[in-house]
Amino acid sequence: MSGMDALRSDAAKLLRDGAVKMVVGYRARGDQRVPAFLTDPDKADALTYDADCKQNLAAYLRKPEVRRHLPLAIVAPPNVCRSLVLLAAESQLVDGEVKVLAVGNGQYHGVLDVAGVAALLKEKYPDLAPSEELVRKIGELAAMSPERRGAFWMEQFERCTRCYACRAACPGCYCTRCIVEKNVPQWISTAAAPHGNYAWNIIRAFHLAGRCTLCGACEAACPQGLPLMLLNVRVAQDVEEEFGAKAGYDPAAKPVIGSWSPDDDDEYMR
Amino acid sequence: MKVFDANKLNDLAAALAAKGYRVIAPVQDGDVVRLAEWAPGAKIQPGVIPVNSAKDFLLPRSEVIGRYSLDGNDFTPQQVTPEAPKTVLLGVRPCDAMSLAALDTVFNWDYADEFYNARRAATTVVSLACASADDQCFCTSVGGRPDSTAGADAILRPADGAKRFIFDALSEKGQVIAAAAGDLLTEAVATVDAPADVPQRFDARTVTRWLADNFDSPLWKELSLTCLGCGACAYACPACHCFDIQDEATRTQGVRYRNWDTCGLGLFTLHASGHNPRPDQSARWRQRVMHKFCYFPQRFEMLACTGCGRCGRLCQAGLAMAEVCRRIDEASKVAK
Amino acid sequence: MTTMVEAKTQTGAETGFQPRIVAFVCNWCTYAGADLAGTSRLQYAPNVRIVKLPCTGRIDPLFVLKAFEGGADAVLVSGCHPGDCHYTSGNYHARRRWSIFRKLLDFTGIDSRRVFFSWVSAAEGRKFADLINDITEQVRAAGPFEKANPARRRA
Repeated sequence: MSGMDALRSDAAKLLRDGAVKMVVGYRARGDQRVPAFLTDPDKADALTYDADCKQNLAAYLRKPEVRRHLPLAIVAPPNVCRSLVLLAAESQLVDGEVKVLAVGNGQYHGVLDVAGVAALLKEKYPDLAPSEELVRKIGELAAMSPERRGAFWMEQFERCTRCYACRAACPGCYCTRCIVEKNVPQWISTAAAPHGNYAWNIIRAFHLAGRCTLCGACEAACPQGLPLMLLNVRVAQDVEEEFGAKAGYDPAAKPVIGSWSPDDDDEYMR
Repeated sequence: MKVFDANKLNDLAAALAAKGYRVIAPVQDGDVVRLAEWAPGAKIQPGVIPVNSAKDFLLPRSEVIGRYSLDGNDFTPQQVTPEAPKTVLLGVRPCDAMSLAALDTVFNWDYADEFYNARRAATTVVSLACASADDQCFCTSVGGRPDSTAGADAILRPADGAKRFIFDALSEKGQVIAAAAGDLLTEAVATVDAPADVPQRFDARTVTRWLADNFDSPLWKELSLTCLGCGACAYACPACHCFDIQDEATRTQGVRYRNWDTCGLGLFTLHASGHNPRPDQSARWRQRVMHKFCYFPQRFEMLACTGCGRCGRLCQAGLAMAEVCRRIDEASKVAK
Repeated sequence: MTTMVEAKTQTGAETGFQPRIVAFVCNWCTYAGADLAGTSRLQYAPNVRIVKLPCTGRIDPLFVLKAFEGGADAVLVSGCHPGDCHYTSGNYHARRRWSIFRKLLDFTGIDSRRVFFSWVSAAEGRKFADLINDITEQVRAAGPFEKANPARRRA
């Protein structure tokens, strides 16, 4: 990526000046790209960024062990930028807590705050969209009969082991006690059986409705290769169609599912 | 010695299936290789370690262990017979076979687990010696070898430049498999290929010693910072075995499940009072390592890790048991 | 141990498939409307089991999933007309929620032959009775909720 040196030197400077206590970025470990937690400015050369960096680092903002190091800087490609804007909109980030080392399209965009990130997204990445391949697959599924769709999802959810790597990888999943962990009563079966897996994956997709920024970290983290983005993108498409909303662009946006308008469609209601 | 052509692995699977075995083998599944039930048409892929472990077939991720009916105050339990079809694990890695010793021990320690034992008794283990390894493998650091026969009823050894396999029956069950394979196995001489080179990455005894004295080390906080607290590593691990029991019931009947569980989740040790003795990921990671390298050896004189490397391959956060142990090994050298 | 809603079918004179329908309704409008249907001696299909909640805004999508998990053939969610909510805006919240959730259900195999939404006021006893009759026939035509559907508990 062009500007990698500038990114590293900006990261080192932020640490040296005391502007941040930690830089959360990526480093190479052999062929893998893994998260890096930099506190020593002299080690900034370990930071790297390329298309193999699939984790959404904004997920670390849920960890008290990481928040202890606020203010911090975080390396963010466009979909992670959207996650940061979402967290700001949901009051999970306070102004000044996070400096963003924004990257995208093979370039480094400099050190930005959340408002700057929102402006960058609007200017340079206003139409972030899922891949054509994904959209095509969703279309194929939508054209099937409900029974065939049920059979497709049955086959996919059969593999789910309920490891919750999808939840762990997602910056939008920051509840200190997840709905699946509520056991009085146990609303979502914890069994890795079809009904439990169906409920878990559907409810997680629904709890992200209007909030998912399509970063794909969940699907990348899933050890069983479940096609989670088929669900998340479909829901995002429905939200955009119904309410014209795309998550992660406006730091002052109201939550989509949590708000309402007297003009909301109810043609489907009898 | 008994040998067969390397390209006849699927035929071997078919022969065993014809003799009534449920054949579990590493099969190509899209982009990955997965240990799964073999069916005609499936392609056994022996060259790549499967993403899941043999544990899946001895301790399923979710199983029904009890049923009951309710009628007012009357409670009637119903016997559940363990599902234990005659099974052959065909072509599992020695690291998976080695983990069976740990599972056998835990499931017969303070209670003889009839579900695990039924499946274990019905299972024959045919290992496949590793001719290649990747940089996540570390069996040689935990007392294993790429051609270890521990836990196996028979072993397939690549030979003659991967053109053939030598079939070595190691137990009665293994001999039954040889017989079931019929004339697929021929008497011949073959030269066994060199096993994979798996360099030692750390000294397990040093790790065990360090763990006993370093419960409060700051290393735990540093190592666990990247962990996001999911169960991907524990569920893929052939030696991890923790489980949760959950009842799901209506007013008239109930089902008791045993589901996989993982110490990586915050909920694992959350008390009803709200207190959590492992309140952060650092405490949970410490527990994970200590269970495998300190507590298990203290109690059972064996490690609960066999160096398969799946945790390192799967973890998106960049954690790997080998890496953690290597850091501990290093730390112990620097210590006072 | 969780206690769940069961939908028992009537035995006796009825033959053929008897749909089991769970209706989550709000206390102030639809429940009162159902009550009115009763006191007016309006006949409607006995296949529905009503779960009363204070407001449609309280209805969590999980309730719908639980009903299907337990083997319901269809679910109805019904509440006050927009503008009439006893709690001012509960039904507005519900409406927004359902517009997305119903599509997610459809995409994963539970389609609009089995999931119904309505506004029924306390004065609409007739509407309630007609609605139940209509839904029951639709679900009868759709058939039992497939045993193979992943949402269904099997064990």
